[in-house]
Amino acid sequence: MIDFDALSQKVIDGDVEAAGEMTRAALKAKGNAEEILNRGLLPGIRKVGELFGAGKYFLPELLMAGKVMNAAMAILEPELSKAKVGPRGRYLIGTVRGDMHDIGKNIVVMLLRSNGWEVMDLGVDVPPEDFCAAVAKGNYQIVGMSALLTTTMSGVKDTIEALKAAGLRDKVKVMVGGAPITQGWATRAGADGYASDGAEAVIVAEALIREQ
Amino acid sequence: MSMTGLERIMTTLKHEEPDRVPHFEGGIAANVMEQILPGKSEEDFIEFMDLDAAVVHYRWFTKYEMIDERKRVARDMWGGLVKFSSELLPHPMGPALKAEKDLDSYKGPDPDEDWRYKVVEKLVKRFKGQRAVIPVLPDIWNVVKDFLMGDVWYFTAMIENPALIQRASEIPLNFYLRFIRNCISAGADIIWVHGDWAGTKYPFASPQHTGKFMGAYLKQLVGECHKLGVPCLKHTDGNIWPVKDVLLNAGIDALHPIDPAAGLDMAVAKAEIGHKVCLMGNVSCIDVLPDGTTEDIRRATKECIKKGGKGGGFICTSSNSIHTGVPGENYTTFVKAIQEFGRYPLDLG
Repeated sequence: MIDFDALSQKVIDGDVEAAGEMTRAALKAKGNAEEILNRGLLPGIRKVGELFGAGKYFLPELLMAGKVMNAAMAILEPELSKAKVGPRGRYLIGTVRGDMHDIGKNIVVMLLRSNGWEVMDLGVDVPPEDFCAAVAKGNYQIVGMSALLTTTMSGVKDTIEALKAAGLRDKVKVMVGGAPITQGWATRAGADGYASDGAEAVIVAEALIREQ
Repeated sequence: MSMTGLERIMTTLKHEEPDRVPHFEGGIAANVMEQILPGKSEEDFIEFMDLDAAVVHYRWFTKYEMIDERKRVARDMWGGLVKFSSELLPHPMGPALKAEKDLDSYKGPDPDEDWRYKVVEKLVKRFKGQRAVIPVLPDIWNVVKDFLMGDVWYFTAMIENPALIQRASEIPLNFYLRFIRNCISAGADIIWVHGDWAGTKYPFASPQHTGKFMGAYLKQLVGECHKLGVPCLKHTDGNIWPVKDVLLNAGIDALHPIDPAAGLDMAVAKAEIGHKVCLMGNVSCIDVLPDGTTEDIRRATKECIKKGGKGGGFICTSSNSIHTGVPGENYTTFVKAIQEFGRYPLDLG
């Protein structure tokens, strides 16, 4: 019998080796890859997100859990592909033009991927036209953008306006985040969602696709 | 008789009241200076605004080798790749180390090269005894995280391989211990260590990890300054409250900026730690200074001085820096408000 709680705990503990061994053992014991993901790994990474959001876990613990998830997903991936298990959603992300700060964005990417999202990361300093081109070309449900500085916050508005001008605004939900951004500012800028950290970003993203 | 800027700062660092609350900034964007005093040098600007210190940012101590002019990508002095943007400092793109074994053959920069100290010498020549000359250097942990290892490797190594971080940290530590000695020999009055320890909600690492990987090295930098008779200031944005004891235990003389964007309040800081460390801050450069009216700026400045100024031990600054989004006239209003409301004995109602 597969001990899903124990596997979750290995994610919470950031124990890459043990989580990998348990994932392999679970598959060998004829476990279903999707069930291992949904009942073992995802509850673990969600708990890590909660602990991070509550200030009980910090970046080292969060990034270790991300490493565990990457290792375990690499083991599960071939089985998930065979079973044609699709992503929870498709997410496009980047920091806005002029903003080079990416650690917050990278955490959001890691947590989204760990929670089963397919994420296209455009990187840093992404001009509005690049966001638009990616939205036009890809089949994304959400576009996330971040700005760490007051001087680059205007890039968020510029990108939303560019999406409108290109007739793409209704194709996607827009989420924003970053140190100087608040819920009020995000709403005024025309975003659909705002998150103050990576854990909240996953919750908000899931709520937004439920609305679609 | 009014004090010199240097006397003003040294007096407040001793937790005594100077003639007025001192003011200087860790960074003032070139476009702001140009709006206020077109065509003049930074030294002229410092004198024109009557700032109490001339701060030498560490970009003046670093040389970059341009790798790709079009993409604005360069190699920094630690061997990593950085990208230039409109910000004051280029952003790290690729660390110098790819694997632990790279440390075996790694050769760091030379802290004794004369050119590094030319700006300090120039400012000392112009301002010695009148305004404090304050070189800024980065926190040791920031150098290792940003330029030697990269953030993901650095943070996971806190758990997986702490010995690697400790080994890598020795490189910038030895560089900056020597750098501090050289700056002080060149006439610097104060040293200022910059580097964030926290995001707006929480510190980047637990108090235990913060102490081990950030605090321990800061303590050595502060110790070197004190051994040479010079105060050491510390800047960190974010909610540092859960790790404030680590900062205080490092022996810093002043803490900047008591970040209001992270929910920190100058009055609370004054009551809880103001007797242990001089406080620097914290008029918001997120909203008040870029977007406020003259009255908004004057009100916020008065309030800030009222909260932090009593008894000295306080330097009024912005909540980070005077960045490109702060209109020149707003910065002028801010400086004038500090000079008006910051006269001791304070009488702010």
